[in-house]
Amino acid sequence: MFFRFVSQSIRRSPRRKAMTVAAVAMGAAVATAMLGVMLDIGDRVNRELRSLGANLMVTPKARSLPVEIGGVDYRPVSNADFIPESQVTKIKSTFWQLNITGFAPSLHAAASLGGRNVPVEGVWFKRQYRGADGAVQEAGLRTVNGAWKIDGRWIDDRERDDADFEAMVGGAVARRLSLKPGDTLTLFGQPFQVAGIISTGGDEEDRIYVRLEVLQKLVNRPGQVDAIQVGALTKPEDEFARKNPARMTPKEYDRWYCTPYISSIAHQIEEALPMAVAKPIWRVADSEGKVLAKIRGLMLLISLAALASAGLTVWSVMATTVLERRSEIAIMQATGAGNGLVAALFSAEVALEGAAGGLLGSWVGLLMAGWVGQSVFQTALEIPAILGPVVVGAAIIASVAGAAQPLWRALRLEPAVTLRGGE
Amino acid sequence: MFWSFVLRAVEFRKRRLVLAFAALAVAATLATALFSVYSDIERKMRAQFREYGANMVIAPEGGSQTVPLEAVAAAERQGAAAAPFIYTVGRVDSEPVVVAGTDFRRAAPLTDYWRVDGARAASPGECLLGTAVAAHFRLHIGDRLALDGAPSVVRGIVSSGGAEDQQIIVPLETAAQLAGLHDAVSLVQVRADGAKLPAVAAALSNALPGVDVRVLHAVAETEANVVLKLRSTLFLLTALILAITTLCVTNNFSALVLERSQEIGVLKAIGAAERKIAALFLSESLILGLVSTAAGYGFGLLVAWWIGRQIFPEASAAGVGVNFGVFLPVTGVTLVVATAATLAAAARIWRIKPAVILRGE
Repeated sequence: MFFRFVSQSIRRSPRRKAMTVAAVAMGAAVATAMLGVMLDIGDRVNRELRSLGANLMVTPKARSLPVEIGGVDYRPVSNADFIPESQVTKIKSTFWQLNITGFAPSLHAAASLGGRNVPVEGVWFKRQYRGADGAVQEAGLRTVNGAWKIDGRWIDDRERDDADFEAMVGGAVARRLSLKPGDTLTLFGQPFQVAGIISTGGDEEDRIYVRLEVLQKLVNRPGQVDAIQVGALTKPEDEFARKNPARMTPKEYDRWYCTPYISSIAHQIEEALPMAVAKPIWRVADSEGKVLAKIRGLMLLISLAALASAGLTVWSVMATTVLERRSEIAIMQATGAGNGLVAALFSAEVALEGAAGGLLGSWVGLLMAGWVGQSVFQTALEIPAILGPVVVGAAIIASVAGAAQPLWRALRLEPAVTLRGGE
Repeated sequence: MFWSFVLRAVEFRKRRLVLAFAALAVAATLATALFSVYSDIERKMRAQFREYGANMVIAPEGGSQTVPLEAVAAAERQGAAAAPFIYTVGRVDSEPVVVAGTDFRRAAPLTDYWRVDGARAASPGECLLGTAVAAHFRLHIGDRLALDGAPSVVRGIVSSGGAEDQQIIVPLETAAQLAGLHDAVSLVQVRADGAKLPAVAAALSNALPGVDVRVLHAVAETEANVVLKLRSTLFLLTALILAITTLCVTNNFSALVLERSQEIGVLKAIGAAERKIAALFLSESLILGLVSTAAGYGFGLLVAWWIGRQIFPEASAAGVGVNFGVFLPVTGVTLVVATAATLAAAARIWRIKPAVILRGE
């Protein structure tokens, strides 16, 4: 009887019910779309910001002070501090390995070229190596600085090869020596073929890049590395992150250690490589964090505004449907239905409409969020699966809440008064 | 007579109209707030990116090792922030150290990312130390060091994670003396407005022959990319939400007419012309639309202002992100939608047969 009443009520006026459900669906769609975009936009932007280059620099614990201007070392004798090349891939075995999007070891030297000292770096460009879990992984300059503009091509160094004499030349050096891709230049008495010209606008323009093992052999420093650039996805620094880890309680320390702050990632790299120091490059890390925090906060507040209005919309629609049906309530009461039964009937109906609208709306909302992600970031957004059910639940609650007050009012009125058409 | 009819209708159906009003006002609030935020977001995000420091450097070209000092003035004439830097090697206790000289006042906006203990600037006879230098010579703030024989008081310790960590940073004149340079510097860092970057770079190249004007692609492009993507995300979301709320409003106005079929029947039965009845509904809708849009507009500006205050507190001096210009579009859209929805529903007025309706079918 109860169910027949509810289903009859829905079947009797399909047009009006459809309008109510549609209104709820619209509210739910707004909420889902906003939340879906909000939850993932931080990660998306974080990845975009990685095109700024490395935000961590790992160097050997130095006994002497480096004296470098524009990549040329002015120290009288080269010191013997280094990171062993064999240890480099340990960076990817730290707790936050998945947040490390790329790293690039390099060895520094200087070659005399055109009467001037030019810094030469031996690097991995895009080296494949077998990670701790046995899977093939990639590291090197291209994983950190993938956005560099190259005239010509990148050097392909997937495999080790110390007899491959190719070089990539910075734009400023190339202009000074009028080099083009395919030309030959001589470094350390060895002819190199120019594979590509790098233009970044930064220090890189004044350098020459060759394969790591080639430079190791030429300057006789086998198995040694001077620095590792690391690009990591980090959580923006907050008050907590600025505390000194040495003075944290064990509980705080655990929380700090298990949060991808730039400082905790640096700390873990130092644990993995005891002979090295890892330092955030604040120019990148600091500003990156600030931009990210702004975007996250902005999207959160906009979502809150959208959620509040979606809730209000659903609430007002449901209140309207009850208001319209006051005479129906009066008739039920007049024919002897108890207040509890009437309330249960209407609540069931309203909840059903809320659920239908919520389902439809969250489906449409997910489609829209996906579309926004696709058209802005060219990849699907990662939206937590729980979002759909949460929105449906919220739609039901908002619907019942909206109907509650007018229902309560209608139930308290004398049926005779309502049926006469008065207030 | 006509207006008293409209007013009575409003008065009689107060509760119903309050709900319709609320729904509409919410839509207008959301539209106003989102449009306000959207129209201002580019300026604000670009201001955020200023913290990345320079997006352009002026470097020596060809055989030259220096850039003329007038490059700074040339960049400033283009409305950019610019700071000169001199790099040279000095000696502390006969040990070589890189000495960087800069104009601290000009460098300040370009070095926001420096983490400094103590002062951010030094006057002649003072210096800042990079963390590595301070640790190497075991120096603290207030200590004195002899830089090439000239005593210098440590005013601050700089940590940047970059080259500055291994430098002694002194005023430009001190470094110029040390390096033996006159009206020439090693490098000029420039921060130009991101949107005008290519134009400024081209103008500087023209104005300064013999130097290399380089745009830092990573900074410039990441900035453009992120700002653009955020802007289009906001735009798409605003458009979608506007479309959805508009649909909702349409729904609401149709309902306002449909509910009153009986009344329409009565009016027709006593001889009212259809056009007159439609005009009645239309004016009711327009009044409702206008009032709720005005309320929603005011509230939306408040929301936009609040969001601006919360997220970009430092920008509040330069306007808090309230865009008064969104009133016309928001009102226009709402009123057009209200009219269209009412008219669409009003088409029924002509089809309603008083006898059928009044019999209760």
